[in-house]
Amino acid sequence: MSGTRQSSGSGDAGRSSAGAGARRPLGDGAVAHARARSGGPLRLGAGVAAPPGMLRLTRPDSTGQALPVWPDSATPSLLDEYQVSPVPVERAGETRRVLAATLKCCWSDLSVDPWPGTPAPAELILDTYRALIGRTDDLMRNWAIGALRRLHDSAWIVMSDGVVSLGPRCALWPVESHAQLKELIRRIPVPEHRDLTVVADADIVAAATEGPPGATATGEPPMATDAQEPPTTVATEEPPVATVVEEPQVTAAQEPAAATGAEKPRAASAAQESPRAPDSAMAAGRVEGGEAEFDDLLGGYDERRRAELVAAFMAVEHGAEPVLEARFGGLRDPALRHTLGEMLARRGRTLIQHRERWTSGYDDAYRDGPVPRHGPAPGPASGVASGLGESERAVLTLVLVHSVAIPRAEGLLPDDTWLSPHPTPVDELRRHTQLPIGELEAALRMLRHAGLLTQVKAGEEAGGYAPGPQFHRLTPAARRRLQEELILAAGPHSPLASAVRARRSAG
Amino acid sequence: MSEQPLTLDAALSEEAVLSTYRRMFAALARDSGAVVDDPALVDIAETLFAAFAEAGEEWLTHEQMRFACRAYPGDQFDNRLRVLKGLGAIREVFPKPNQLRYRASFTSVVGLMFIRRMMDDGGQSEMHRLLALEDLNVADPRTTMEEARQSAANLARAFRLWALELITLTTGTIEELREQAPKLWGTEEIARRAQSLHGTILTRWPVLDRVCTDLRAAIYAYSDASRRAAGRLADSAGTTRNLTLLPTETWRTFSQTASRERLAAVLDGFVFDAPAPWHDPAAIARAVDEAPRPAPAQPTPPRSTLPDQGPEDSLASSPSAAIERLTEVAESLLGSSSRVALAGVLRSDWPSARRLLADLTTVDLRPELPYRLVWADDLTISPGEEPAWLSHGFLERTA
Repeated sequence: MSGTRQSSGSGDAGRSSAGAGARRPLGDGAVAHARARSGGPLRLGAGVAAPPGMLRLTRPDSTGQALPVWPDSATPSLLDEYQVSPVPVERAGETRRVLAATLKCCWSDLSVDPWPGTPAPAELILDTYRALIGRTDDLMRNWAIGALRRLHDSAWIVMSDGVVSLGPRCALWPVESHAQLKELIRRIPVPEHRDLTVVADADIVAAATEGPPGATATGEPPMATDAQEPPTTVATEEPPVATVVEEPQVTAAQEPAAATGAEKPRAASAAQESPRAPDSAMAAGRVEGGEAEFDDLLGGYDERRRAELVAAFMAVEHGAEPVLEARFGGLRDPALRHTLGEMLARRGRTLIQHRERWTSGYDDAYRDGPVPRHGPAPGPASGVASGLGESERAVLTLVLVHSVAIPRAEGLLPDDTWLSPHPTPVDELRRHTQLPIGELEAALRMLRHAGLLTQVKAGEEAGGYAPGPQFHRLTPAARRRLQEELILAAGPHSPLASAVRARRSAG
Repeated sequence: MSEQPLTLDAALSEEAVLSTYRRMFAALARDSGAVVDDPALVDIAETLFAAFAEAGEEWLTHEQMRFACRAYPGDQFDNRLRVLKGLGAIREVFPKPNQLRYRASFTSVVGLMFIRRMMDDGGQSEMHRLLALEDLNVADPRTTMEEARQSAANLARAFRLWALELITLTTGTIEELREQAPKLWGTEEIARRAQSLHGTILTRWPVLDRVCTDLRAAIYAYSDASRRAAGRLADSAGTTRNLTLLPTETWRTFSQTASRERLAAVLDGFVFDAPAPWHDPAAIARAVDEAPRPAPAQPTPPRSTLPDQGPEDSLASSPSAAIERLTEVAESLLGSSSRVALAGVLRSDWPSARRLLADLTTVDLRPELPYRLVWADDLTISPGEEPAWLSHGFLERTA
């Protein structure tokens, strides 16, 4: 195992939680895993190997993306067997149906794996969805577009320029379940023929892809050759879309591979100067690697213990709430717990204990600041999206103040926790703060999707937003730090703030 | 107390001071000698003062006072009234015998206000005000050196006392510290004000440097004690309990006025998970199966169960054909007369009678056809025949 933990001698013995020393610097692999979890699939340069424990999704130009995999080929559906609920997915049914429609349109060759599939225009997917549920009104369409956006944000699909293709997470489906997916796809109805196609589907898709010079190396489906056809008409139909912050390495990788003469002028032509979403639909990628790196830790155990460890790992990493120690052998038994802690440490995580419940959180040594989000093909004009944008962080702070700090100051919240039954009314956020309203809605949506806020429907108290299940996953040091930051921000002249500052400067 | 012989002036001035004291704290007095046990009794005084304020120039009579305090039991009210009168908080409007009207003393009202404020924040705002006032005072050109020395000494004493109290709390139990300390400790602003006051005094009267040194030492001791108390609280409390140490209003002000950058800066350096829901293939299949289908189309209304080989072929599609048929039906019934009774027309079997009735009703309802159905009030009931219930009516030609 390369590049995992280096044990410096400075661990604080008194402070170590189960297995993961508090002050040890994290290894590269751990940092990469933590970054993948907090920012989405990692972007890898050409020829760069994926960190251990990650799947490498390789494109023909040998750049790729990396996604963590789970030990022993587990998936979060394991949680169902133990009746641990994962983070609730908003509008799960609708989202999954849209995903099914996307699969139907993009998984053209059922004899190979779903990823990467072929790209399809978003309109086709919407039509398929419409045929699937049998309703044709505009509301359905808006909801479907919202579902597409949510899927894009969580890396299940890649959507840009009206073209959709399967995202990296689709490669995580275990091979055994492909049969079920194939059967599902056969059941989904094909949308009726649409008379009004100004631009044929193939052209839309082709226009959105780059010329595929590297395709010859891996035996491309003929879709790519369509794109060779009329570069000029392509240019007129799709006026150069000013999209994305481009990665020079993609175009650089294309240049040497451009073999035929027909491709050279195109590569040089003006229409290709502003290249479009590059990683959507470079068809025929390859899935490589994908073994979890825990064999040395797990190998010493028998079947049953191994299964318990894996189950406990999945439960603390993906459960919505902290899990009861009594339900998982991997947590009850101190030796197993120690091993679990080491597994988590390889991923940059650590165990967090709330009395008899356990969950996991980011190791305190991992403090990257705002994590650049290696999301899938950044959408048009999104700029650099950090892990949480500025307006999202501002909205989250406001919710923390209203839902936790103020009830605490008024004595309404007795427990020492960051979750709160007191919702922040949306009106308060809209009217009595300095945030612009347009950003507010988008930020609320994103925070809800990420599990940082939960929406409380209007019941006895007025509805609103409260801190979400992610706030279970703060280590004690992180919680203290959050409290101190709030105090420093809200009351910078109070003696409490000066005490905090004095302690920080003293070390 | 000075040793001067007790002149009348001195006695009078002493009495004036005492009477002010008495009036100030009259609301708190149980009797002339002590303070109340039950805080509710203070409420009676407050209610009374509010009533007096409403009363206007006429002030209040005893009955009106009783009415204002009707929420309180009679003997408590009498008791309070006696005490308040005895201490001078409530006096007769005009000192003559058998006076009925009473008025309240301004000093008492102010005293009560002051006390309420002190209860809320333990004197911090008072300290602020005091410092501000003192500042103005010493800046005033009419202030003498003696007055400045006095005020500096007073302030030094106040700060020393506060510092001592804070230190005692810091070394005491944590609960008491948490409760009392926020009322006592001073923000940087108090220290700053005190410093500026000290600077003003020293500048104007350099000869007072001894007093000013004392004042400066007292201010530093106070700031130090505040910091130490805060430090102890910060260390000991749980990780959200310290949030109680800022008052609610501070939080609200922060949330209402802070800019986006300042808000976002709070969460800098915190890492949260990216959204990564897991869509299991089984779950996807389930979602597709459970897709809500639209409601099926409205079924056609049920057909009647009676056999009816009605004239389907008579339902020609053109609208004029319908009118012609209806006209034909009406004419065949009327014959040559302009009016025919329905009783005679409808006496056949029920299926054809109902068809005829339907046609006649249509004829009646169409304004372009010159026929009308007129119904009378009679009703013939003959159970054995068809129709069993027959209303009497006439078909008329109106044109």
